[in-house]
Amino acid sequence: MGMVYRIYLEGERIYGCANCKTHLATIHSMMSRAFNGQHGRAYLFETVVNIIEGEPIDREMTTGKHTVRDISCCKCRTVLGWKYDRAFEPLQQYKEGKYILERNLLVDVQ
Amino acid sequence: MRIPESDQESAHSVSLDSAPQAGPSSLGLDGPGPSNGHTNGNGFTLPSTNGFTNGAGVVGNGVQKHGKSVAKVSLLGTALYADGSYVDREEFVRLVIQSLRDVGYIESAATLEAESGYTMEAPEVSQFRQYILEASWSDAEDALTRLGVTDSDGLWVCYHLCIGSVPYVFRYQEAKFFIGQQKYLELLEAGKTTLALQVLRNELAPLNVAQDQLHFLSGLMMCSDPTDLRQRAEWDGASGTSRRELLTVLQRYVPASIMIPQRRFSTLLQQAQSHQRQQCVYHNSPLDSKAFSLYEDHQCDKDVFPGTTTAILDVHVNEVWNIEWSHDGSYLASASKDKTAIIWRIDDPSIRDYTAKFVLRDHSFPVGCLAWSLDDSILLTGADNEIRMWNTKTGVCTLVLDSQHGHQETVAALSWLPDGSGFISGGLDRRIILWDAEGNFKDSWGETAIRVTDLAITPDLTRVVAVGIHYLYDLATKQTELSFPLEGELSSVKISRDSRYALVNRTQNEIYLYDLHSGRLARKFAGQRQGKHVIRSCFGGIDGNFVVSGSEDGNVYVWQCDTGILLETLPGHGEGSVNSVAWNPTNERMFATCSDDHTIRIWEAPLRESGSRVTNRSSSNGKGKTRQQSNGDGVDFDSAFGAWVDG
Ligand SMILES: [Zn+2]
Repeated sequence: MGMVYRIYLEGERIYGCANCKTHLATIHSMMSRAFNGQHGRAYLFETVVNIIEGEPIDREMTTGKHTVRDISCCKCRTVLGWKYDRAFEPLQQYKEGKYILERNLLVDVQ
Repeated sequence: MRIPESDQESAHSVSLDSAPQAGPSSLGLDGPGPSNGHTNGNGFTLPSTNGFTNGAGVVGNGVQKHGKSVAKVSLLGTALYADGSYVDREEFVRLVIQSLRDVGYIESAATLEAESGYTMEAPEVSQFRQYILEASWSDAEDALTRLGVTDSDGLWVCYHLCIGSVPYVFRYQEAKFFIGQQKYLELLEAGKTTLALQVLRNELAPLNVAQDQLHFLSGLMMCSDPTDLRQRAEWDGASGTSRRELLTVLQRYVPASIMIPQRRFSTLLQQAQSHQRQQCVYHNSPLDSKAFSLYEDHQCDKDVFPGTTTAILDVHVNEVWNIEWSHDGSYLASASKDKTAIIWRIDDPSIRDYTAKFVLRDHSFPVGCLAWSLDDSILLTGADNEIRMWNTKTGVCTLVLDSQHGHQETVAALSWLPDGSGFISGGLDRRIILWDAEGNFKDSWGETAIRVTDLAITPDLTRVVAVGIHYLYDLATKQTELSFPLEGELSSVKISRDSRYALVNRTQNEIYLYDLHSGRLARKFAGQRQGKHVIRSCFGGIDGNFVVSGSEDGNVYVWQCDTGILLETLPGHGEGSVNSVAWNPTNERMFATCSDDHTIRIWEAPLRESGSRVTNRSSSNGKGKTRQQSNGDGVDFDSAFGAWVDG
């Protein structure tokens, strides 16, 4: 590992962890608002920073089977959503390598 | 200066009259004695040992004192040695005479003058020197012309019509101005304002040189008292060194061949030392007689470079990110990802049983930065956006700094002001905050253009140098003086002892040395690995001759600061990065490193004592353990330590 500082994002709209305000993603990397998570509406992002990825597990979703990892805030460890490692359905493969963040766990930060 | 043959007697009488009696009268040899003379190539008899021919009545070309005389030795050519060397014999001998006089070997100097036929300087020169030191200003001014400092048809005008590019016509006026200025200041200091004013108007002003200086001098009339005067004039008074300094200034106006600069021989020897010092790649010893002998060229022994691990401090249970020595060099503070800071006692190098004196446990986030107060009684630690103050005698947290006024994001750097009046903190929230010594909020810089990752204050208190993400920033009294936009993230900054250079690590495998005076990049150091982690470097050695850095490849890198040459790549730490390095401030032969492998290593020269073996034991108080070893019996460190890394 080694010492790293949390990454600070630049941009007009920055989403952070609702609990500790750690920067997570910008609106520019948002791919879709049409997702649902455990706490309601969720967003799909191209890239997310300052997260810790959990172990991969296979999960049945409404769009089919996926290999996903839980992602949590690197500062406060709140689980914020998940990352898609693999989509078994060919039509869903655009999500591979992308991240889901739950809207209710996010807050606008600067 | 060469003395013409016909002038010799008088020249000698002058120089000897001012000297005590020549001749080793205490020896009392009465007869011819042992055959102590020998004949040189020129066919002259050189009296040696006693240096004087015994018996009265030997009068000739030599000096006679107490019935003993010194014969002048005539040598061929002008070189000191006849082998084509370019050292001029007359110059050499005159410098020797000057040195002998300086240390008080007056008789020897006189003897050498007699034997060589060279005099150190004409009597006018010593007289002039005396006039200045005794404040006989008008005599000194008169003497100037006799020394050839003149703007009219003087004695030596054609000899030194001009020196450098300054036309000679101005030189006399200028020299006179300096003398008049000293006179003026001394009168002011003595409270003789009216006389001082007269000097200003009647002597200095008509010289028509240095109008600005004249204006400044007249302003000094307003000084409230002598102390104020000395301070404002940056002048140490009649009883200080100011007259000697005046002599040094006046020296510029007299040809060096007439008035030899003070302590010239010593100056040349110091230049030789300085040259040898620069050639000494592993230089790490003080400028004393032990390290610098005139008998041989100086060279520091590579074997005494502290490139050997002599202790491993292994109490942290996670990565160690930062270390700082106390100012007295007896304690090391470490900051870890395990959310603790540890104060280690490292004050007895003979024992090497370094113990964790206090484990500071109250932080709820990894600790990233540390700062000892000037008297080492307080340690500051920063973890996330929290700053804590610890009593280093008790290990008790005495204060959590005001979070209302404090940082909103991670505190990345803490630094006490060089005058001890407080400290500053820099954070990723773009703020630099000033706190007093008790930890009360004093002031904030507001938003800087960078997220501060490290900062340092120059020892002369003129600058705060902050580095951060995207920029290296230089702040002087809150005004941005200089900023150097750099690619990548800058993770560490250290300032050289002379306040001139800033050493900066950046995440592109590069360490930069910035010259803060010129604002330019002075040097780059390459070899270490730094990609995405915070890696720190420092100056090291007796005069900052070394630059040391951690590295993501687990090695410690050492360069020669002046040249940027990589001297050492020291393995030893385990898996992960060496995150920070710190040179002991009071022991130029010791530094410490800390690593992702949870340990801190102390580096010294190989231990010379035999008998101490590699050991691994816990300290008696149970608070910490250290591992010690010596290579006195040839233990292979790398392999010995490699097995312990995860221990
Ligand atoms: Zn969080």
